[in-house]
Amino acid sequence: MTVSALTRPGERDRLIVKLANIDWTFTLLLTLIAGVGGVMLYSIAGGSWLPWAAPHVIRFLGCLVLMTLLAVMDLRVWFALAYPIYAVGLLLLFAVALVGHSALGAQRWLDLGPIRIQPSEIIKIGLVLALARFYHSLSGRNARLSFWLLIPVALIGLPAALVAKQPDLGTALLIAATGGVMMILAGLSLRVVTVGLVGLVAVVPAAFMFVLKPYQKARLLTFLDPEADKSGSGYHIMQSKIALGSGGLLGKGFGLGTQSQLNFLPEKQTDFIFASLAEEFGFVGSMAVLLLYVAVIIMALRIASVSHSHFGRMAAAGVTATFALCLMINGAMVMGLAPVVGVPMPLLSWGGTVMITVMVGFGLVQSVRVHRYSEVTSGRGAIL
Amino acid sequence: MTKPQIYFNEVNERQGEFGRRAFIFGGLMGLGVVALGGRLAQLQVIQNSRYTKLSDNNQFDFRLTPPPRGLIIDRNGVVLASNRPDFRLLVTRDEHTKPEEVMDRLAVLLDLDDAHKRRAIADIKLAPKRAPVAVMEDMTWEEFSRINVRAPELPGVTADMGEVRVYPFGGAFAHVIGYVAKVSDKDVPKVGPIDPILLNPGFRIGKQGVEKSFDAQLRGKAGARKVEVDVKGRVVRDDPAGDIPSTAGATIQLTLDVDIQNRALEVFGEESGAAVMMDCRTGDVLCLVSAPSFDANRFVKGLTGPEYQALSGYERKPLFNKALTATFPAGSTFKTMVALTALEAGVSPNKTHTCGGAFPFGGHVFHCDKSHGTLNLHQAIVTSCDIFFYQTALEVGPDAIAATARKFGINQTFDELHIPQKAGTLPDTAWKQRTFHERWWPGETPSFGIGQGALAVNPLQLCVMCARIANGRKALMPRLVKSIGGKEMPPGDAVADIAVDPAHLAFVRQAMADVVTSGTAAATAKLGLGPIMMAGKTGTAQAHTYKGSRGTVHMDWAMRDHAWFIAFAPVDEPRYAMAVLVEHGGWGASAAAPRAAEIMKVALLKDPEIRARIVTPVASASDQAVGANPDEPLADGAAPPEPTPIPGAAQQPTAPPSLPQNEPQ
Repeated sequence: MTVSALTRPGERDRLIVKLANIDWTFTLLLTLIAGVGGVMLYSIAGGSWLPWAAPHVIRFLGCLVLMTLLAVMDLRVWFALAYPIYAVGLLLLFAVALVGHSALGAQRWLDLGPIRIQPSEIIKIGLVLALARFYHSLSGRNARLSFWLLIPVALIGLPAALVAKQPDLGTALLIAATGGVMMILAGLSLRVVTVGLVGLVAVVPAAFMFVLKPYQKARLLTFLDPEADKSGSGYHIMQSKIALGSGGLLGKGFGLGTQSQLNFLPEKQTDFIFASLAEEFGFVGSMAVLLLYVAVIIMALRIASVSHSHFGRMAAAGVTATFALCLMINGAMVMGLAPVVGVPMPLLSWGGTVMITVMVGFGLVQSVRVHRYSEVTSGRGAIL
Repeated sequence: MTKPQIYFNEVNERQGEFGRRAFIFGGLMGLGVVALGGRLAQLQVIQNSRYTKLSDNNQFDFRLTPPPRGLIIDRNGVVLASNRPDFRLLVTRDEHTKPEEVMDRLAVLLDLDDAHKRRAIADIKLAPKRAPVAVMEDMTWEEFSRINVRAPELPGVTADMGEVRVYPFGGAFAHVIGYVAKVSDKDVPKVGPIDPILLNPGFRIGKQGVEKSFDAQLRGKAGARKVEVDVKGRVVRDDPAGDIPSTAGATIQLTLDVDIQNRALEVFGEESGAAVMMDCRTGDVLCLVSAPSFDANRFVKGLTGPEYQALSGYERKPLFNKALTATFPAGSTFKTMVALTALEAGVSPNKTHTCGGAFPFGGHVFHCDKSHGTLNLHQAIVTSCDIFFYQTALEVGPDAIAATARKFGINQTFDELHIPQKAGTLPDTAWKQRTFHERWWPGETPSFGIGQGALAVNPLQLCVMCARIANGRKALMPRLVKSIGGKEMPPGDAVADIAVDPAHLAFVRQAMADVVTSGTAAATAKLGLGPIMMAGKTGTAQAHTYKGSRGTVHMDWAMRDHAWFIAFAPVDEPRYAMAVLVEHGGWGASAAAPRAAEIMKVALLKDPEIRARIVTPVASASDQAVGANPDEPLADGAAPPEPTPIPGAAQQPTAPPSLPQNEPQ
């Protein structure tokens, strides 16, 4: 049931055809990564499905269904919902700044009775959609350099500032970087990109002095010299490096990672799960997982570039950028190449909210693939 | 649903730019992953060994296992200090420990009073994190298993089996062997490396005597138990293959004889004093007792405040090793030195002086206890005539007497003993000048001649003096430690001959023999062992300067004279030499001599050659026996004879009068 640009119009809208057009190889890769996550969570719990492995696997299966549903959802629905989702996310961010539930010294959660909402996750999807929609209706010339670009700057800056205020520096950086990558992909003048990068280098020291909170400064300083403070902040980085390094070429074996089993590795089930993996399965195992991630990124970028609509391209690329940056930041942090910021390893780490975000994002990517031949009009012809 | 619209304006341009940039972005991400892979290779492949070591450091911990402390045994192998198992309760503190809660929970399981709880809580709070603190020792097996069963509910609490020092003879060896006690801040060096075993809970080190002097040899080398720990330092698993065994401390064999030592402490009863016995052929110290004594085992456990005050406040000073550190005038025992000085100076032994009970000299009248008439040197020693020796001392002068005394060990400390001693004082003209910046007045010489005045000696020195007289040839040195870890220590007879004419020594020995047969100690120092006879010399040292007549019995204890007796036996072939001091005991003949005889009998009867000599002439010896039947002790081998009653000796021989309820006030 192959489809092409010339497929009979009604044919592409049939559910069975849409399902067939979901990229199942891509889905298999995601399942593999999440499966490795389940295996690791089983191992570091001392060979137990609880408390992490079983919920992780069940949650992923649920998210897989969600992704499929979102994949067959018409791209024009996504298009229509882009700004509303962004607006809701932004409003919730304001709300969390005012009445948020604080955990570990940061206000990140919004307690709504039975469910707790983390607005920074909603805004990740919202921002990608909003930017994609904006660029969809912007000409290539204007995307290169024009006053119109102040709008995406504001779309990125507002949520990034609010998240940074929580304070959640890692997510704020992730949001800003994702936005930046999308602006560049949309055709931002390379001269501006160069100036921006130079400016960033100039601004970082000033930001360090005046913007960061003491604990954030401590983390950064610790990152620069982790061995100076073995018991405090440097402990995380040091223990993570020990876990990685002691894994060696082939690893200590399944369930035999002493660093994680004996709890020397902090946050072993969330931020540092990759270190647990590298400890038990060694260089070979961790490289294999990294290659899975690379495959996901390349396939997602390919889905983006074959889309006929600019909205589809930008949306898929935005999701991919978020995913790839997450991977890079977490990987660099675990390996002692970046300061400890709370960015989990997507699909591998324990954590429901992040997994839903990632899988909703991939639902969008799949939708872009399923609807790659559809054109999306700006505003008119909308479904809603 | 509306028909999809296809717009071609600008779309291709935007798509083309996007495609190129997406390609570059993908490439950059690929490069990023390659960089991560490179970092992984650096950490996991190149630096693997370094991080493996660090991981092992995290995972494994070595818990010190204290070595068994070396045994201390007597010359025949009887154990004087050993170790017994001790069930201890240890509490290890971590971030979450609340000492009050822990102790309250333990109080439910164990019998802990409030004072104990308070002390334990303070100890736990003071201890560094993860260093176990012993909050209770000597638990019963029942308590020990109760804790072990409940261990899962009591985080940070462990019950383990340690070892604790035990002294089976309690007080008899307390002064020589000393004791071990918990490490105090003073014992941990301020600078330099600290033996980590010192920080082990309940570890004890030697604080006194042999335990202190040979602490390094007795301590041994700590081993380690290899354990796998989690991040909180809790033991997850044992790894017996990685254990490092501990090396037990060396066994130290003393020259002491447990039977002689025990009997010596017994005969003192409640009296205060000391007894030292040496083998006068080899220099081995067979007995070194100070009375009253204390139970060293109490110190191992840790003395309570009132207990310590009772011991240290008692006027008979049980904590004091009188055999080595109590210095008193030697009294008439010193007349042996004056006599030798005269003989060495060429004074004829037949030269006589007349004793009329008083001797005026230099504006002062010196007295004698009675009027002895005309005496030669032999008679003067036997009757202990003071007036004869006042004049002899004036004849030879103080410097010559001091020189002789020095040859016999007076005023010396013996490093061979490895226990601190007090040298005392041996006065002569140079000493007088040095100490008082004054010349020696002739009026001081007469009292020096009878062992009074500034002269101060300790019981060990008098024993060495007596041993050298008895040996007759060598300047014998005392030896207390026979061997360390099987390695024999140098004997006390590997020394030069004493620079005194042996004939003169024989003269003094004969005089000392007659002291016991017919002289001052005739009634009190007979052994009753047939042909085996003891020789000796009494001494009664003034504890203060008398005004008016001299009394001994009815005065305050602290005012009475000190009683001395030096002795050797057998007379014909000396083997054992000794000195006995009874502090404020009165007359040497009545307080010290009988005790010396009792102790000497034990040594003689343990000696198989001496026993053989007594057994053969059973019939002829029996009529000489006074107060004891010589056959009786011989029937059952080496058992000491029944003690003859001794004035002042109490009937509770082993328990020292050290605790409050026993304190006579």
